[in-house]
Amino acid sequence: MSKCLKLVAILLCVSGATSAQVPVDTLQSDNFDFTFSESQLDDDNDALQAVSTITSTNNDPYLGEVGYRLSPMRFRIRAYDNMYEQTYLNGLLMNDVETGRFQHSMIGGMNDATRNNEGVAGFEYNTFGLTTIGGASNINMRASAFAAGNKITLTGTNRNYVLRGMYTFATGLMDNGWAFAGTVGYRWAKEGVIEGTFYNSLSYLLSVEKLLGNHSLSLVTFGSPTERAQQGASTEEAYWLANSHYYNPYWGYQNGKKRNQRVTHEFEPTAILTWDWKIDDSKKLATSAGVKYSRFSTSSLGWNGNAYDPRPDYYKNLPSSIFDVYDLENKNNPDFLHDNPYFLSQYNDLYNFWTSSEANRQINWDRMYYVNSIQNQSGDETLYYLERRHNDQLVFTFNSTFNHNIDINNKYSLGIILNHTKGMHYKTMDDLLGGEYYYDYDKFSANEYGKSSSEAANDLRNPFKRIYEGDKFGYNYNINVNKAKAWGVIQHTNGMFDIMHGLYIEGTTIERDGKMQNGRAPQNSYGSSGTAKFLGGGGKLLMTLRPFVGNTISLGLGWDTQAPLARNAFVAPRMQSNFIDNLHNEDIFSSELSWKFHFGSLTGKFTGFFTRFKNQVEQTAFYNDQENRFTYLTMTGVSKEHYGLEGALVFRVNSKLSFDLVGTISDAKYIDNPYAQVNYEGMNSATNESLNEWLNPITDANMPLRVIMKDIKVGGTPLTAASFGVNYNINNWFLEMNVNYYDRVYLEYSAYRRLSNVLTNYTAIGSLNGTPVFNIDDGTGRSSQQILAEDGGVLFDTNGNYLGAYSPSLEKFKGGFMLDAAIGKNIRLNGGRSISINLSLQNITNNTNLRSGGFEQNRDDYYRKEGAADVAKAYKFSKNSKYFYANAFNAFLSINYKF
Amino acid sequence: MKRNIFHIGTWMLMSVGLMMVSCMDEYDAPDVSNGSVTKETSVGDVTISINNLKEKYASVFTQNNAFILIEDDEIIEGVIVANDKGGNFHQTLMLAEYNAEKDFVDPSNAIVLSVKNTCLYPYFPYGQMVRVNLNGLYVGCYSKLPKIGQPYYTSSNNLRLGPILFERCKSNIYLVGKPSDYISKIHPLELKDDSHELFQNKSYQNYKNSPMLVTVTGKFEYGNDVTILAPDEAKDAGQGVDRDFKIGNTTITVRTSTQNDVSFLKMPKAAVRLTGMMTYYDGWQLQLRSVDDMEIISE
Repeated sequence: MSKCLKLVAILLCVSGATSAQVPVDTLQSDNFDFTFSESQLDDDNDALQAVSTITSTNNDPYLGEVGYRLSPMRFRIRAYDNMYEQTYLNGLLMNDVETGRFQHSMIGGMNDATRNNEGVAGFEYNTFGLTTIGGASNINMRASAFAAGNKITLTGTNRNYVLRGMYTFATGLMDNGWAFAGTVGYRWAKEGVIEGTFYNSLSYLLSVEKLLGNHSLSLVTFGSPTERAQQGASTEEAYWLANSHYYNPYWGYQNGKKRNQRVTHEFEPTAILTWDWKIDDSKKLATSAGVKYSRFSTSSLGWNGNAYDPRPDYYKNLPSSIFDVYDLENKNNPDFLHDNPYFLSQYNDLYNFWTSSEANRQINWDRMYYVNSIQNQSGDETLYYLERRHNDQLVFTFNSTFNHNIDINNKYSLGIILNHTKGMHYKTMDDLLGGEYYYDYDKFSANEYGKSSSEAANDLRNPFKRIYEGDKFGYNYNINVNKAKAWGVIQHTNGMFDIMHGLYIEGTTIERDGKMQNGRAPQNSYGSSGTAKFLGGGGKLLMTLRPFVGNTISLGLGWDTQAPLARNAFVAPRMQSNFIDNLHNEDIFSSELSWKFHFGSLTGKFTGFFTRFKNQVEQTAFYNDQENRFTYLTMTGVSKEHYGLEGALVFRVNSKLSFDLVGTISDAKYIDNPYAQVNYEGMNSATNESLNEWLNPITDANMPLRVIMKDIKVGGTPLTAASFGVNYNINNWFLEMNVNYYDRVYLEYSAYRRLSNVLTNYTAIGSLNGTPVFNIDDGTGRSSQQILAEDGGVLFDTNGNYLGAYSPSLEKFKGGFMLDAAIGKNIRLNGGRSISINLSLQNITNNTNLRSGGFEQNRDDYYRKEGAADVAKAYKFSKNSKYFYANAFNAFLSINYKF
Repeated sequence: MKRNIFHIGTWMLMSVGLMMVSCMDEYDAPDVSNGSVTKETSVGDVTISINNLKEKYASVFTQNNAFILIEDDEIIEGVIVANDKGGNFHQTLMLAEYNAEKDFVDPSNAIVLSVKNTCLYPYFPYGQMVRVNLNGLYVGCYSKLPKIGQPYYTSSNNLRLGPILFERCKSNIYLVGKPSDYISKIHPLELKDDSHELFQNKSYQNYKNSPMLVTVTGKFEYGNDVTILAPDEAKDAGQGVDRDFKIGNTTITVRTSTQNDVSFLKMPKAAVRLTGMMTYYDGWQLQLRSVDDMEIISE
């Protein structure tokens, strides 16, 4: 943290010696600048990565509301990944080119500085870029865009943080052509609403602008050094044992003090220099260049070799690991338990252990220190440690946009975007937990190939190095990405008819630069991977018809072919430089048909949309409990369809009272079974190759490995959602109440459990009238169709011909309601000063049973041995997914003083 | 202008002031004695020796894979002569009787204590005397090996006597003294040839002498294609590899689980001294505790 603070200081010094620019927009002078959005947007950086944040689309009643209101349930517009929403700062595209997403944490705690936000939908014309299918926001941080004056904000809440203070000042554009603005804030919680979490975040921004005739120069620098502890998902059984849906397995007591194993440190100091040139009344050129040095890391417990898994909710610690509690017919019934009393006895022992003391169900830090102290006595290496996984970035980016309003009916924009990103990925030893050292070799490879084997070395150039706190170990590599894009968009308006069309072309290069020579991939881990090059492009067309006053019908069509994300491009980036097989551009077809209307007091919009993704690449990296190895699973040739209806109605009774209703019903699912490539980090290429085999059960021929995904839904967001709201304003009072409904939220799938060589492969026992006959019976009394629908499976006929495949069913959560309200009052004082007090209440009915997300575990339910029948495990991973729950009742009180 | 300078100054002062806020992710090292997993006060006085326990429950130990619940305070005591440090024993501690009169650890009078944890040795180091109250635990045999544990289903779906829950250590096990008090008193039974009655007399080949800590002298017998003791590709359904080891005219089996340091030991052509835990199933079987248990004595 201290290093981060030094960087802040350096940056502040640099930023102080700079100058200025052109007025663009002004901060709204009223004090009703508080809505649900403020409390929600500032609430949780983790959640923000999962919700839609296109928020300021003033002319779209759906997009303008839906993102904020439904954010507690991590709603994503059209279930798109957040990489399809772009964020520009002063016209500079700031999405991370490795992950595709914008890191909202980089502007965390700067609400006053990010309020000038222009949001556009995916098919909307704008002056800063040709946006992607999810739309875009452009945040104007130029100093002249801030309202002149000072503002102090104090906030109390019971969310991730409990206190927030902010000070903002702005000079406005002064007579001498200068403008200054700055904000500084602090968010803090010794313990957030989730037990075992804390929050400690400073944020700062300084913006300087100088108007020079038709030109202006603006420099803005900002950052938000933050340390925060995380919440972990857990199983329903663990929640039941802890008697809370907010049980957090990430913390435990150390010396009687709560300590969290997942602590994120983040700081992304950024500086943007912008040159605006008003060439004449119709032409403008806006050019920005920016640099960002991002430091992001998260700690995580590590353990050595055979050391027992220290996670408190590790499945072997749970009562249901003793016997199959879900098998009511054969196991979990009075007769069986009477005949085998030891099972219930052990179950009760674990139940009592979990419920007798809170400390028992949390991480036992003291015990890890104890074990390491024993290791010290014998001169052995540490068994438990805390590692820190770093994902740092150095980014240089440049945007230039030319806008020309040819006449009242025609306008166009042209632009270029350049980006060079160096992503630095490595891990360091954060804390040896009382141990003295750690040997840097792969403990699983040592078991597989022998401790003295070259395969066990994580770095053949420094094999078996002793690691002390602060040292890099395990992996160390850079990902270099270069991107260049040229785009143009033109709009023609002619009475009843508008047409907008845009085109772009982009080039992308991706390279891995290894800093360690990994023993499992000695020839292809150190140095450059070579460069993968991709040429992409696309276009969009929006045709708008205004058949009569107040009614607009629009048809949008778009097509894109884009480079895959750098984070998905490598088979196992922590270990080696190989690009995945079949790596090529991803294709997107998008379309929408909208009707926007205005009848008297009623306004609204309805949209139908259809989007198809083709040839996508998706990669998951996870610790594979089944194989006891860190695993990369990459899917290529992924195809998905997203389609549905969206609608918004606003009824204004009068200037003080209005009602609105927004909602969507949609579907988002995989439509094919993509190819799979699996890589276990502890294994060499020969072993990995053998694990990518899928053998035909009859012919023994090797078939391309697949993930059986067809018809699996996109998870983690409501596919059905609606919100009914009432707004009332009177005498500087502001009241708002919303009832939100969520349904059809699906779990995030496990690709591992759907691998074609993990699913049961069934062979026909014969045929009847030419139709293959199967004997699918697992002894549970379920029909074969039920077994296939629930557990999945792959079918072959008697000759080994592939007949079809079924994916295991994906859990759908129960829907539910949430009631939110907000009330605010503005008090005007003498001398242009004012105070506003705003209170937001969320989940007023305290519904603690709303699952907002979760994921399947990457394990299956069987012991598998070659040449023997599968044996069911006592613990059922398929019935023990991990879940997150929407926050319980929470409040957000904010007091603003402007002077 | 002065006013603006004041605002910028205020902003800078606040920024610098807030930078002084300390890091929250800092902790003091704990008192390591809090990490103990066993009972901190005695589990009671010893009521029965390991030998007598085997005799008392002989009817169970002579069956295959049988077990019985102990419902009284039957308390045994033993010194750990093998644990999982070398990776060749899984969830297993071997307790050998300490003979106070003769002041030595009796290598031929031992029993297995199985505990559900993948890394027992920091808590139960070699030479540590432990006292176990068997009340609520089970005794029985697993593949004819006398054992203290709790029933479970194996990965082959067989009901067997498995490990006790780790949490049970807190109520049923007490550590007596320090390992250094007993290490010097552990001496394996030396079997230089096959003349010992263990090899010659059938009545010695049963649960009473199983397990035992022994040192044997002999040679491995193996084919030309064998290079290391237990390669993964040679493992059987029990995740282990068997090698023939000749002591005089008697052949015993050296069994090694794969994926540990012992399994990568190079197969010696020379005569060797092996130390380990010997058990009887339908022949004698030896399991090394660590790589140090193989000593090459001649070429």
